[in-house]
Formats: sequence, C-alpha cells, structure tokens
Amino acid sequence: MYNKNSQINFSKGKTKKSFVLIIVLFFLTLTIKAQEKKTISGTVYDNLGVTLAGATILESQTNNGTTTDYDGQFQIEVSVGSEIVVSYIGYISETIQVTSSSNSFIKITLQEDTFSLDAIEIVAVGYGTMRKSDLTGAISSISSEDLVKGTVTSTEQVLQGKIAGLVVTQDTGDPSSGSSLRLRGGTSLTASNNPLIVVDGIAGVDINVVQPSDIKSIDILKDASATAIYGSRGANGVIIITTKGTKKGLSFNYNGFTGVSYASNHLDMLSANQWRGYVRENNLTDAIDFGGNTNWQKELERSTAMTQSHTINMSSGNENGGLRASISYLKNEGTVKTTELERLSTSLSTYQYILDKAIKFDAGLFANIDKWHPLDYRIFERSFNLNPTIPVYDNNGEFTSVGGTLYENPVEILTNRSTDNKRNRLLGYFKTEANFLNDFQAVLNLSLEHNASTGNTYKPSYAVLEGRSENGYGQKTYGEYTTMQVEAYLNYTKTLGKSNINAMAGYSYLDNSYEGFGAQRSGFVTDLFEYNNLAAGQDYRLGDVYSYKGKSNLASLFARANYAYDSKYMVTATIRKDGSSRFGANNKWGIFPSASVAWRITGENFMESTENWLTNLKLRAGYGVTGNQDGIGEYKSLSILGVGGDSYYDPATDTWSLAYSPAQNPNPDLKWESTEQINIGLDFSLFNKITGSIEWYNKRTKDLLYTYEVPQPPYLVGTILANVGELTNKGLEVTLNANIIQNDKINWSTNLTFAQNTQKIEKLSNQVYETDIIYSGSLHGLSGMSNQFSQIIKEGYPVGTFWGYESSGLDENGEFILSDEKTAIGNVQPDFTIGFGMDFSYNNFDFGFTSYGSFGQDVLNATNMMLYDPNRLPAYNVPDAFLNSGINSAPTYSSYWIEDASFLRLQTVSLGYTIPFKDSTSKLRIYVLGENLAVFTNYEGVDPEVNLTGLSNPGMDRFNNYPRPTTVSLGLNLNLGY
Amino acid sequence: MKIKNITLIVFTALSVFACTNLDEELFDRVKDENFGKTPKEIEALAGGAYSSLRGFSDAISNAYPASEYVFFLNEVVSDEATIPTRGTDWYDGGQYQNAQRHTWTADNGMILSAWRYCYAGIAKINSIIYQIDKSGLSEEDKKPIFSELKSVRAYYYYMLLDLFGNVPIVTDFEDLGLPENSSRQDVYNFVESELLEALPYLPSNIAYSKFTKNVAYSLLARLYLNSEAFIGTPRWQDCIDMCQNISGYTLEPDYFANFATQNEKSTETILAIPYDSDAGTVGNYMSSMSYHYLQKFAVSPTGDYQWSANGMCAQPGVYSSFDDLDRRKSALLEGDQINLATGSVIIMDSGQPLTYTEDISNFEDAKQNEGVRLNKYEINAGDQWERDNDFVLIRYAEVLMMQAECYVRLNSPDLSRPFLDQINERAGMETPDIIDLEYIDKELLREFIFEGHRRTDNIRFGTFFQPWWEKGTTEAYRAIFPIPTSVLNTNTNLNQNSGYPN
Repeated sequence: MYNKNSQINFSKGKTKKSFVLIIVLFFLTLTIKAQEKKTISGTVYDNLGVTLAGATILESQTNNGTTTDYDGQFQIEVSVGSEIVVSYIGYISETIQVTSSSNSFIKITLQEDTFSLDAIEIVAVGYGTMRKSDLTGAISSISSEDLVKGTVTSTEQVLQGKIAGLVVTQDTGDPSSGSSLRLRGGTSLTASNNPLIVVDGIAGVDINVVQPSDIKSIDILKDASATAIYGSRGANGVIIITTKGTKKGLSFNYNGFTGVSYASNHLDMLSANQWRGYVRENNLTDAIDFGGNTNWQKELERSTAMTQSHTINMSSGNENGGLRASISYLKNEGTVKTTELERLSTSLSTYQYILDKAIKFDAGLFANIDKWHPLDYRIFERSFNLNPTIPVYDNNGEFTSVGGTLYENPVEILTNRSTDNKRNRLLGYFKTEANFLNDFQAVLNLSLEHNASTGNTYKPSYAVLEGRSENGYGQKTYGEYTTMQVEAYLNYTKTLGKSNINAMAGYSYLDNSYEGFGAQRSGFVTDLFEYNNLAAGQDYRLGDVYSYKGKSNLASLFARANYAYDSKYMVTATIRKDGSSRFGANNKWGIFPSASVAWRITGENFMESTENWLTNLKLRAGYGVTGNQDGIGEYKSLSILGVGGDSYYDPATDTWSLAYSPAQNPNPDLKWESTEQINIGLDFSLFNKITGSIEWYNKRTKDLLYTYEVPQPPYLVGTILANVGELTNKGLEVTLNANIIQNDKINWSTNLTFAQNTQKIEKLSNQVYETDIIYSGSLHGLSGMSNQFSQIIKEGYPVGTFWGYESSGLDENGEFILSDEKTAIGNVQPDFTIGFGMDFSYNNFDFGFTSYGSFGQDVLNATNMMLYDPNRLPAYNVPDAFLNSGINSAPTYSSYWIEDASFLRLQTVSLGYTIPFKDSTSKLRIYVLGENLAVFTNYEGVDPEVNLTGLSNPGMDRFNNYPRPTTVSLGLNLNLGY
Repeated sequence: MKIKNITLIVFTALSVFACTNLDEELFDRVKDENFGKTPKEIEALAGGAYSSLRGFSDAISNAYPASEYVFFLNEVVSDEATIPTRGTDWYDGGQYQNAQRHTWTADNGMILSAWRYCYAGIAKINSIIYQIDKSGLSEEDKKPIFSELKSVRAYYYYMLLDLFGNVPIVTDFEDLGLPENSSRQDVYNFVESELLEALPYLPSNIAYSKFTKNVAYSLLARLYLNSEAFIGTPRWQDCIDMCQNISGYTLEPDYFANFATQNEKSTETILAIPYDSDAGTVGNYMSSMSYHYLQKFAVSPTGDYQWSANGMCAQPGVYSSFDDLDRRKSALLEGDQINLATGSVIIMDSGQPLTYTEDISNFEDAKQNEGVRLNKYEINAGDQWERDNDFVLIRYAEVLMMQAECYVRLNSPDLSRPFLDQINERAGMETPDIIDLEYIDKELLREFIFEGHRRTDNIRFGTFFQPWWEKGTTEAYRAIFPIPTSVLNTNTNLNQNSGYPN
C-alpha cells in the first residue's frame, strides 16, 4: 500500500493530497466503528445436528469474516447493528442481526440446500478431500448404495457399467478369476493398464483386500489434473475407495443371500444322434460309433451351482471415537465342476480423538482368505472335439480314453487331479491427524499390505494329462509380497472472505518386497500323498526347486494448492516428484505437474434468468502429466547374470553344472511412460432433477515401454525393454442421473453412462530403436497356425487391429474367397460403451436393474474358425450350424471369422420389500436378485464379452469358453440401530 | 498447544530423516560387475558358451538346433526331408511349403531362427570374453579359456558362413554400433584364422562335447571341403590334411549306438551337444516332431510316450534309395504301426490304419500316415518330452567320408576305398566297384540322414539347384539364405544378400 501510493506520488503530484485525506478518513471511520463492536461466538450445526467445520461467518457489507473450526465453533467481532451471514456450500445461508442485546453465544442450524446437492458431496482427491462443487478435475464418484449388487467375487465388478469410461472385464464365468479395469482406453503396450487403487489413503493396494460391503464410496480420478498427485502411478487413472466409518450410536447389520447359477449359454454341437444321422447319410463306413450319447459341455457342469454369502457388521461410535467390525463369508460355486471361490474376510476400523479433538487416531485392518481350485482350460477345446458317441465312462466304470490330438476325456482331466490354491490378503494402517493453529492439519500414515498365495497341484499316475507320463506329479508353490508405506503431509485450509485456500505438501516412501519358492516332483510310487509329501517323488530334475526374491522402492514428494473464489472460480495446481529404484541410472526421478481451472457459470449474476431450470453449470479445464511405471519390473535396467536353467556338461566328471549367463540387454535410460492429458468437462444440473457431466479428453502417452526387438548382432538378446513409442487416446464421456419422481411414496431414478474412446499408435520408433510392426493376437497352438498372428501394432492403427485377408464369402466349392493382400479387417476397440440402470420404489417395495453394453468391437471367433472344418467329421465333433454353412475349406484366418461383438447385458434385476420397524433406524429388507438374465447380441459364440485388454490375445474367443453364469438369488438385509 | 507443536516437530523430523535411497538391492541374481572373480565363477561363466549350443526360445522364435526351427530349416530345404501340410496341420503360414519348393522369402520364420541361434550364441560368447577379461586372470591363464570360447564362436560363424554368407563379424561385446555386412570371403577367412589361432591352446585329449583340437581340425576340414561352394576356391587336399590330424576315434560297431539314449558312450562322436532332461536341458524333442499322434501306442501298451506332432518325414524316394540289407535303413520308419496293447494295427481317428507309406499323395494335403518317419534316435516308453540323447554334430564317419570324397574329387577314387569300406562294412554293405561322385552323394545321404548335413551336401554336389520332388530348379542365389526381414528392419546398415528383393 505504501509503495503503491508513493509511486502515485511520483507520477501524479496532484492526487497526493486527496489520497492522504482518504486514508485519514478511512482510519477515522474504523476508529468510530470500533467503538461499537461486539464479540459473538457460537456453533454451527447441520440439519442432523452434526457440527459443520469450515462454515463461513461474514459480517455483511464488510470483509470481516471467519470460518468454523473442526468442532463447528467460531468467534467473531462485529459491529453492533450489523448482520452476520453464516454460509456453507450446499446449505441455505442464515442471516443474524447483531444488536447490543444479542446473545454473545449463538447456535446456528443450517438447512440443506437441495438445489445444489453436489456441493455437500465430499470427494476424495488423494491426500485430502474436497467438496464436489470445488473440483477442477474429472472425478466420478459412486456411493455404496449405487455399487453393483449380486454375487460379486471381485471388488472390480461393483463398478461394472457405473462409471463412464471405465471398462470392467471378467473374461470368464470362473468365479475365482479376477477382473481387469481399464479407464479411458489403455495407455500402455506392456505395462498394466489397471488404474491405481487407493484404499483409505493407502495407494497401490490390491482392490480385493476390501469387500464391497465395507465400501462407503468410490471416487474415480480420471484426468491428469486429478491423478497427477499420484505421479508415476497415475496414468491409468486412480480409484479411491473409502471404507465405511462409524455412525453415532450402535448399529448392527446382517446381509445374506443364497443363489443358484447355471451356464447361460452353450455351443450347439452335434448330438450323438445327429452325428449318427450324418454318418448314415454320408455313408461313412470308417466312422467309429462308440455307442454313447454324450453332451460333453454339459458333462463338465454342475447340476446346480450354489452360492451363499453372509456378512455381519456392527459399529458403535460417539463424539470422540468409534469402531466398526465386520466379518463375511462367501462361497460361490462355478457352473463348471470343481470351480469355486470361497472367501472369508474380516475388517476392523476404529478412530479416536484426543486432546480436545486436536489429534485423531485412525486405524484399520482388512484381511481375507480366498480358496479356489484353478481350472485347466484345455477341457473346453476337448469338449468340442470329442465325438458325442463316446461315453464318459466305459463298461468297467473307468473314464473312456480314446487316443488322438486334443482328444483326452475332459471329464477325466477335470476329475483326476487336485488343485488347491489359497491366498491371504492383509491391509493395515495407522493414521495420525493433528490439527493445530486452526488452519493446519498434519497427517502421518503408516501402512502395511501383505499378500501371500500358495498353490498345490497333484496329477496322479493314472491322470491322462501329465500324470501318466510323469508317474504322478506334485507341486507346491508359495509367493508373497509386502508393501510398507510411510506418508506424511501437511494440509493448510484458510477462508478469507469469499476466498477458499487449500494447500498440501507431503512426502511418501514405499518399500515393496516379494519372495517365493516352489517345488515339484514326479515319479511317485503311490498316489496317496497327493502334493503333501513331495519328497516321495523319486524323479529329480533341475528346476524342481526354485526360490526368488526382489525389492523395489518408490520415494515421492508432492504438493497441491487450490484456490476457490466465491465457489465460482477455482484453480488447482499439483506437482509430484517420484523416484523409483526400478528406473535406470540415468533417469531416477520424474516430475509430474498439473494445473486446472473451473468456473461455476451459474454463480454469475447474468445467469439469474436461467436459475429456475439451470440449477448448476460448471465448466472445467485441466492439463497434467502422469506416469506409468508398472511395466518396469525390478532390475530391468541393469546388466545382470542369472542361472536360467543354463547347465553345461563336464565330461571329466560326468556331471552337469550351472552356467551364469547375462540375461538381458541393460538399459540405463529406462524410465516411466508419461501421459499428457487435456480434459475439458462440463457439470450441469437441470430442473433440480437431472444432473450430469460431459468430459472430453485427449491423452498422449510418450516413451511407451515395450520389449522392442533389437538387431542381433550387436545386441546380446533379441529384445530390450525401452521407452520408444507414442500413442493417443481421445474420447468423450457423458454421465446422466435423473430423479424422475421423488416424493413420499415413489422414488424413481435412472442413470446412464456413455463413453467413447479412439486410440491410435502414433510412433513405434525413435533414433535408437526401429520398429515397423509388432505382431500380436497369436494364433499359435491352433492347428496349422504355429507362429501366426492375427493382429498388428502399427503406427496409425489402434492396439488390437486385426490384420489379415478380407473374405467376401465362399465360392461355389465352399472355399473362402480371400483378398490378395492382408489389410486391417477389424478392431477390438469398442466404438462406445454404455451403462444404464434404474431404481424404482413404491412405499416399501423396490425394483431396480443395471445393465451395461459395449458396441462396435470386433472379436475373432477362433473357436468357430477351428470348428467349422470339413476335416473334423466323423472323428471330431462340429457345431450344428457347420453342416449348413457350406464351408468346404480348411480353417483359414480371415475376416470371415471376425464378428461384431456388440452386446448389451442385463446385469442385475432386483425386487425387494422392506419391512419397517417401529424404530425408524431399524429395517429388514428381503429381495430376489437375478444376474445376467439376458444378453442382447448378434455374436455367434458362447459369449460376446471377451478380454479386450492386453497384447497376447485381446478380442479372441479361443476355446476359453467358460460360460458366464446366470444366477438367481434370494437375500435379506437386516439393519438394527440403537 | 505444546503437544500440537511437538507433533509438528515430529513430522518435520520424519521428513528430514526419511529415506530416498533408490539403488536396487539384488537378492536372487547378481550384477555382472560382481561376478567372475573366483576360478569357480569363471568356469560357470565359460560354461555358458556350451549351454548356448542348445539354443533357446523366446517370444520371437524357437531356435533349437535339434528341433524347431534351426534343424527344420536345414532339413526341409534339402532332398531328404519334407514337412507336408496335412489338413490344416503344419501349414503355419506356408513356411514349410515355401522351404520345400525353394521359394522362401526373408520373412520365413525358420530363417530368422537360424540367424538368431547363431548370433545369440556369438553375443553370449562375446559377453563371456568381456566378463572374463575383467576378471583379473593373468593373460597366460586367459589364453586357453579364450581359445576354447573363440572356437565355439567360430563354429557359429561357420554356420553363418554356410547359411547366410555375407554376415557381419562382431567380436566386441561393448560395441553396440549397428554393424555392416562382411563379405563371405571375409567370414571364411575369419573362421579359418580364429580356428588356426586357437588350435595350439586347445586341449589335445578326447573330451566329449568339448571344443578340443580334434574338433577344430574337423571344423577346418569341413570348411575346406566346402571351400569351393563357399568362396569358389577348392581346397580338397587341405581337407584331407586336416582330417589326417584327427586321432583317437573309431567307428562304433553298431551304427545306432551313436543315437542311443546314452550315446555319450560312443567312441565315434567328435562333437555333440549333450542333453539331459534331469539337468534341465531343453529343445531336444525331434522325435515328437515326426511320429504320428498315436505312435505312443506302438511304444507303450498304455500309451506312456510323449505326444507327437506328425510333422517331418522323408521325401518320397529316400526310403527306397536304401538297400534292404543296409542296416541304416531302419533310421526310417515305414509300414504298419502295431498297438502294443491290442497287437493289431493302430487305428487313426479317421478309422484308417496307421501305416507309414513312402509315397505322399498330395504335398499340400497329405494323409496323416503318409511319409516315412525319422527313427534314428532311440525312443522308449516313459521318455520325457525333453529327450536325453545327445545331439550329434560331428562323427568320425564324417572324417572318413570327407577324405573319401576329396580323393574322388582329386581323381584318386581308389584312395577313397579304405574309408568307404569301413563305412560299408558297418552298414552291412559293400563298396561298389566304381566309386564316383554320384555314389559319394548317395552314400552321404544314407550315412548322415537326418543329421542336418544334407543342405550343405546338396549345394556342394550341385543337386540343390536341380528339380526334385515338389520343387523345380533353384536359382543360384538361393545357395545362401536371405538376411531375415526383421533384422534388416532394425539394422539399416545391413544389405540383403544379392538375388533377394530388398
């Protein structure tokens, strides 16, 4: 102020006097006013009686203001006769007249402002929370009530179809198989495309450590301005899971359901009688009729697959602390015999305030055990191959065994082996929050994640596959990893008038170590011990025992600053510096910045005319750089020697010794993949009924990690893990929620998500490494297709581009008409994906459904490609439809077998009735839930939904047809509150 | 307030002492700079040169000298073997059809496998030399180790010389510059000089599977035998001279003892790649690449034999070129295959009997039982997928045949008779009255059938360029293979061999 005035003095002498006058008058006024001051203190509550921290108290017409502390308390000195305005985003402001007789301690209760619901929604943003209304980045949130319900065996599935741009894929109906998540297209060729999972602030954990029943809310950080705070792990998006805390009082809850599943679809293969008819008609005298009548697909299945689940939890809490505990049990039988998932899980979380709420301790412990029996997927191909006249058992009650390639009795394979796997997951954390000097909060978070798996396999000496030839084969494996993290950060929050300032800075250190061992033996005299006494196996070979251990570290510094003015203009900037032990010596540290802005247009005066219908309109824009370092395993940058089964013979002693050989081309420049992303978003709310958002993004990923081919000579081995290529993903996402009817009796709401993404490989070469084409989508293992590929990765095309001959059908001889040149004949990337759901309730009845779909993706139906083979009959079975297909040509890969696999799946349909208790906090709901009741598709295979991620076999339907189950279950929820 | 301040101090302190060490800690492997210090460690490094001879498989290709695809390549372009397409089976993008018809292109996966087999071995040996060079061993102690390593390397370069001709010569592990082609003459000179330089330091004893003086002499003899084919300069006498340096070996009375499961006992083998499935060796499953899927029931009544892929077989005409009295004829399997459980002929899925025939009715769509099979290496019920028999590279019989051939070529066929008599006596045959090149050519086929020699022999005798079953005349430039496309794409300093499109 002084400087400014003096500058003016130099330039404009005349004004000097008037300025002095003004200043004098200003101070005089202040003095006069000060004489009429009064100190008011008080507490601000919400309509439920909970204190509101961070509410603004402003003396009207002045800049004098303060905010409530963590207990909702405030103190302000105001002029007598003035008005104070108490406001809080999402609540209707209260105005209080201050007179000389006013009470100096007041209680203020703010009522919720239903017009801007998102304003009170708190969103986890990583190392803190923000009000949804203040967000500048693209973040989608979902609360526990909106998670997908049903027989969820992997936590990923609760997000299926719920978030625009998030694709959840479980490739099979095997309940023990996990799901993959992919947000906004993949950014990487080699590295994981799974988003970073953060549970209660602990980054990088296994999503399945938390059970759906323990989840309170999930926030999905989509764009780089939101995820850059997670630096080198943020490029695939971040999923922040917040678990349920405690409520005031005591509550008790039981959830249970039991269900029946059956395979939703089969391939129509010739029955034994159809086969006999064909043989008779075609006079195939050599054909062997084994006299049976077998549907091999059905023979693999359970007559009824049962699922049951029970969850009990209780919570108790008061002003100063609380705890919540839960235990749950799930047993989900797959439709294919032996497959199941059995899970026992528990969680315990507690918090405690001390020192007048200056310090809060927060601790959580999540643990579960999974048990399952891994399936040998080779049974499916055999179930299509085997002649339907072969009986499962012969006259002696033994499994029928007919020689032939891929012709072993699949029921025998399924039955004659023991595979028992187990996994333990554990996550524990202890968080200390200290609030001091009103505006500061320091957080120290210590966490431990431990994940251990054991595998047991025994193939007895009578088992056809790998049992007989080994005279019994037993194996045990063990693997575990432990991640320890220390995170410390400081938060500063300040409200100055209409300005909201938030700043955060912190440090984190992660130590991940993994180790394991395994042993296998063959040559058992008796099969009695199974895998429990490997020493009884008498054949010993190199590689029968092994062990391994590795470790990596990640050190990070990070900071974020937000500024919001009047909840109208918002700016956020973040920066993170990540150093990883996995990076090459020349690139140990990476920096990941971001910046974003938002403008709540409806906060402007000129928008008053539209207030009655446009209740919220907010424009956001952000840019950021994030990384992906998952594709770099440990020690990949170094020149190391290993003992990879490289033995050599010493004739002098007639013994074998191990050679130590260099294992890889070292790459000291190895580093993270970096993704630059621009995101523009629009949030809106119409008629107070429809809320939604539209996001547009453009992502460019550079330094793509891939094991690129390098020339030999001079390189030691044929590939090197290096950062070379570039790819882009551009897309549009729309989310819409509508509360169509909302009154005392009827509640009707729907939600719709839509996402479209376009991917393109921009570059695969640089000055050092040249790559023209990478072949993918291997057909290896299919008859006559050794070392053949169905897809290419090439500049100008998206990942998963089918490359082959275009087929225009069949000629008069039943031969495929094929183009001369190979071209792009399809793509596994969907044009768009949608999710659609509805909830409806009338009095105590409720009804709802969820569905999701994916449109425009191509799938290679390699199952049909191989089964529609005129050489198969009579020995090998064929689909019914083959007989009328007119195909008289050996299996050939071409566009003929590429199908549009668009589908819409009716994922869940539920009908429930709630029995109210006299005590309003208690209730009992009983419901029926149907899962996967219908799939709308033109796809000819068993299921159009195949894995679209990864490089090895995206978009391939290839004898891995574990049909997804259709499940109907009956359940009840009991909530008791005291 | 005090406590709050203390908390603040604790946090600050934590951040100060916090760790930022990002060096990688190794547990189950070792950085190259920390290895190769003790004699045992040096031995373990040098051993890698020998283990490299078994080849490898990775995401790009299989490169096994005893099976896929290095062995396949040498066999199916020659006049002794073929891999017909049976239905869809063994079509595999047409790579075997192209090889049979001598219409291969630089994209053929088998050619890439052979190239990578050699250069992976060379790079590995270069790295071992580099590693041992740093070990602090005295120059004197290094000499014999390096000589042995360089001899193995020369073996790889010999193969490159034979297969590709104009290949880059790379000897420095640290140099990652993209190399240029050397001329075939330079590669020839390099192989010769490396072997000659190493010779004085190589062990002179008979050490099975090791690169001894005898091995170096044999390789030089092979080099001189093919000198005319490689560089246009015949060196028949040099070949004979080299052969005469070789000592300590005799023919095994039983031809098949060389191919028994325990064939390391053979007195005839000069160089072999040892295999032992218990020791974890991989890549030796040629038998399974040839027999029919159901052959297992002819080996064991319970079918306790490995899966077989029904691939490679002999070209029509090969089986009948053996006299019925020739003991070596049973290196090929013809006729009915008896199911040991039932005593009757095995019935294939098609309902037809499994009877191997010499004739192959349709190369592009052969019947499952057509073509006689490789039956040279011993097989037994209960064999593991990874077989235990050692893969024979050089037998003493070859030394005899080389001398016999050279004397014929030097117009002294009578001098070749003593060598041929030894071979024939063991085979149960008699050396004919007239010994000419055509006889030598046929005798080489019979003696070394399915030992990977035939392509080189066909080229040396010129038959390679003449039409044979399912093949027309062959252009002269196809005497060497093209440099694989993916190698040319990643190393723009390389030129394609002449005759092949760039």
